[in-house]
Amino acid sequence: MDEATLILIAGWVAAILRSATPLLFVTLGETLSQRVGIINLGIEGEMLAGACFGFAAAATTGDPLLGLIAGGAAGVVLSMVHAGLCIGLGANQFGSGLAVWMIGLGITSFYGRAFVGGQVDASGSLGGSWLGDSPVLAQLLDNLSWTALAAVLLVLLAGFLLYRTRTGLAWRTVGEAPEAARAAGLSVPRIQVSGVLLGGFLAGVGGAVLSVDYTQTWAQEMTKGRGLVAVGLVIVARWNPYLVLPTVLVFGGAEAAVTRLQAGGFVLSSHVLASLPYIIALLVVVGAYAWGRRGSGMPEGLKGVFAVRGS
Amino acid sequence: MPGRLIQLRGITRRFGSLVANDDVSIEIESGSCLALLGENGAGKSTLMKVLYGAIQPDSGDILIDGRQQQFRGPADAMAVGIGMVFQQFSLVPALTVRENLLLASPRAPWLQVPGAPGLDTVLEVLSRLAPDLDPRSRVADLAVGERQLIELAKVLNLDARTIILDEPTSVLTPAETQRLYGLINEMVADGKAVVMITHKLADVAACADRTAIMRRGKLIHAGPTRDMSRQQMVDSMIGAGSPASASPPPPPDRNVARVVVRELGARTETQQVQGISLEVAPGELLGIAGVVGNGQTVLAEALAGLHPLTAGDVTVDGISVAWRPTPPVPDGRVAHIPEQPMLNAVVPTLDLAANLQMRDIRRRSFWQFGRRGQADLTVRLQAADVRPPEPSRLTGTLSGGNLQKLVLGRELAGEPSLIVACYPTMGLDVAATRTVYRQLFAHLARGASIIWFSEELDDLLEYAHRIAVLRDGRIAGIRNRDQADRAGIGDLMLMHDMARSA
Repeated sequence: MDEATLILIAGWVAAILRSATPLLFVTLGETLSQRVGIINLGIEGEMLAGACFGFAAAATTGDPLLGLIAGGAAGVVLSMVHAGLCIGLGANQFGSGLAVWMIGLGITSFYGRAFVGGQVDASGSLGGSWLGDSPVLAQLLDNLSWTALAAVLLVLLAGFLLYRTRTGLAWRTVGEAPEAARAAGLSVPRIQVSGVLLGGFLAGVGGAVLSVDYTQTWAQEMTKGRGLVAVGLVIVARWNPYLVLPTVLVFGGAEAAVTRLQAGGFVLSSHVLASLPYIIALLVVVGAYAWGRRGSGMPEGLKGVFAVRGS
Repeated sequence: MPGRLIQLRGITRRFGSLVANDDVSIEIESGSCLALLGENGAGKSTLMKVLYGAIQPDSGDILIDGRQQQFRGPADAMAVGIGMVFQQFSLVPALTVRENLLLASPRAPWLQVPGAPGLDTVLEVLSRLAPDLDPRSRVADLAVGERQLIELAKVLNLDARTIILDEPTSVLTPAETQRLYGLINEMVADGKAVVMITHKLADVAACADRTAIMRRGKLIHAGPTRDMSRQQMVDSMIGAGSPASASPPPPPDRNVARVVVRELGARTETQQVQGISLEVAPGELLGIAGVVGNGQTVLAEALAGLHPLTAGDVTVDGISVAWRPTPPVPDGRVAHIPEQPMLNAVVPTLDLAANLQMRDIRRRSFWQFGRRGQADLTVRLQAADVRPPEPSRLTGTLSGGNLQKLVLGRELAGEPSLIVACYPTMGLDVAATRTVYRQLFAHLARGASIIWFSEELDDLLEYAHRIAVLRDGRIAGIRNRDQADRAGIGDLMLMHDMARSA
């Protein structure tokens, strides 16, 4: 392969990774939340809040890192509402999640008006760093910010924590069999709250990466359902953090491909093209079931979400 | 390891009006296996849960080497080396064997990468119990016997010196049972104290050097196993006859079969029955005896047309009522009184009216307005002796006796020809029990055939015209009432196990 081809591929990889970074954070967050047995539909609202308040902090201070931290904090605050309702008060997880989503939507529409159309500087790119300076690497790194690198590392770290430490074992047990976890002396509510708050933090950071780093602007409802897409991608990734990476990249790759196809003058209904990533995700789910036939990997505790309590 | 002595003194525990343990005193010694023998509901598990700290006694003391103990929960009991393996395991199916053991062990390391120090120490006990078991396999993929060994390893990992096993062989295959016997004998030789809750004489013969027998919450006998004959054990376990409270109509004069079961076979994931052939005449009460778990549930559902057959047929008046190959259309010919009515017979969150009319649900009009028929329903509830007879009351609020009366009122309304009754008086008080029997006997007198599953051998001998014994999914024998006695039936239920493994 000649260098020109490699540079082209590097450009593609960078574009995919860039567009997939916010979704990587959010999907990882939802995965961790569901691993402890809590479905969080409010993740859409948390992502939106992260995008709005992250952008506000970055625009005000001029520091993108502060923006990401503020976004994460906004996600944590909203996920506290979900944790309080579901774990504290035993509310229905779907109802609570939808409420949190609406709260996020309302608050960001109201407080975000002042920032609509604003601009911020992106966080630094990885280019020109110690990682190397060949033309191929330069093409890759110049187009990536350190948030993409952080997202990939976080996925690996989360997988390691979940599968290779006692803490992770405790989290998985809580999600699979809360009764057995109690019998083993674990505090189920504490671990569930930890999972939901960490999920909220990652969703908020993901939202902030979207507004501060990727689009570098804020618009109302700019997440456009990406949080809910993350809920679906968790299923595709079989609740496994390691699988979150390829899943999101396939999905992000399809999205990037659609953009390129449209830009290249490919004649097909834009609605059909826009649904392509979802069709690919659906095929992956169907294929995984037909090929694997080992169940979905869904934590047993999640099934209780559908059961009537106290009967 | 120094020997120690655990004494339970005068333990009494009530659940509502039921006295589960009535002033029970036993001793448990190191280096010895005590069999706690008795029928279901005799109070064996309750007594051992008291020792394990899972249940607090109403009165009585627990002493270890003469010192009084206060167990507020299982953690306190575990702290002094008392562990219990339950019938229902507390393993996480989705996790591997090793992960389940790590979860339960206080010495599990935080970093659990392959080769980490301490990762394999939790496997040491298990590798002795089951050398062939791969610690990387998921618990969901393992056989019941293997899961039990993991539970045992969990308990032994906590340095338990007194190990309580709750009906350990009830879920095991014969080969797994033999291996468990060997393990128990090893643990005893190792100086540990083992208590085995069981209702099988084979378990007693294989391991126990001492035996305590319980019946209806009371300790009947305790002493060295060799001092008791098998016959004495069966007698102590099953008890002398209880006073009659109602009497069934005499057996029919002419034995013309009305209900014919021919070579019936059926299976679920956990139970199966095969080659079941029975004939029941009009007005005849056929009792089915047997230890729980020998295929009763699937047989009852197969007879009632609620479970598909793999072989054979069930006919009433020459017409098939079985699910073969398609489910039968319910026409009121067969009534089914399932076990545990709150779970299996009603929708607890619907009102009495809805549950009473559940059988007619396909004949009711689409529109369900107003309160038409409310007075009718009240009359039907009164006739069934359901208290209070309020059609709008939530079914989940009824007591056990009233619930069973509701179920009988619904199931027996259409004058069925065959009544399949599963443990219809289980957990009921004396008055409700009497009502249930009286209703069943009234239908016998009318000419219905009844197939009655029961664990109460005394009641079966008292009321049933004939008794069939179900063991390992087959009919082990059928006795007429005049030929049947407790020992004969007990033999059919239990003794063959003994012969096989002794």
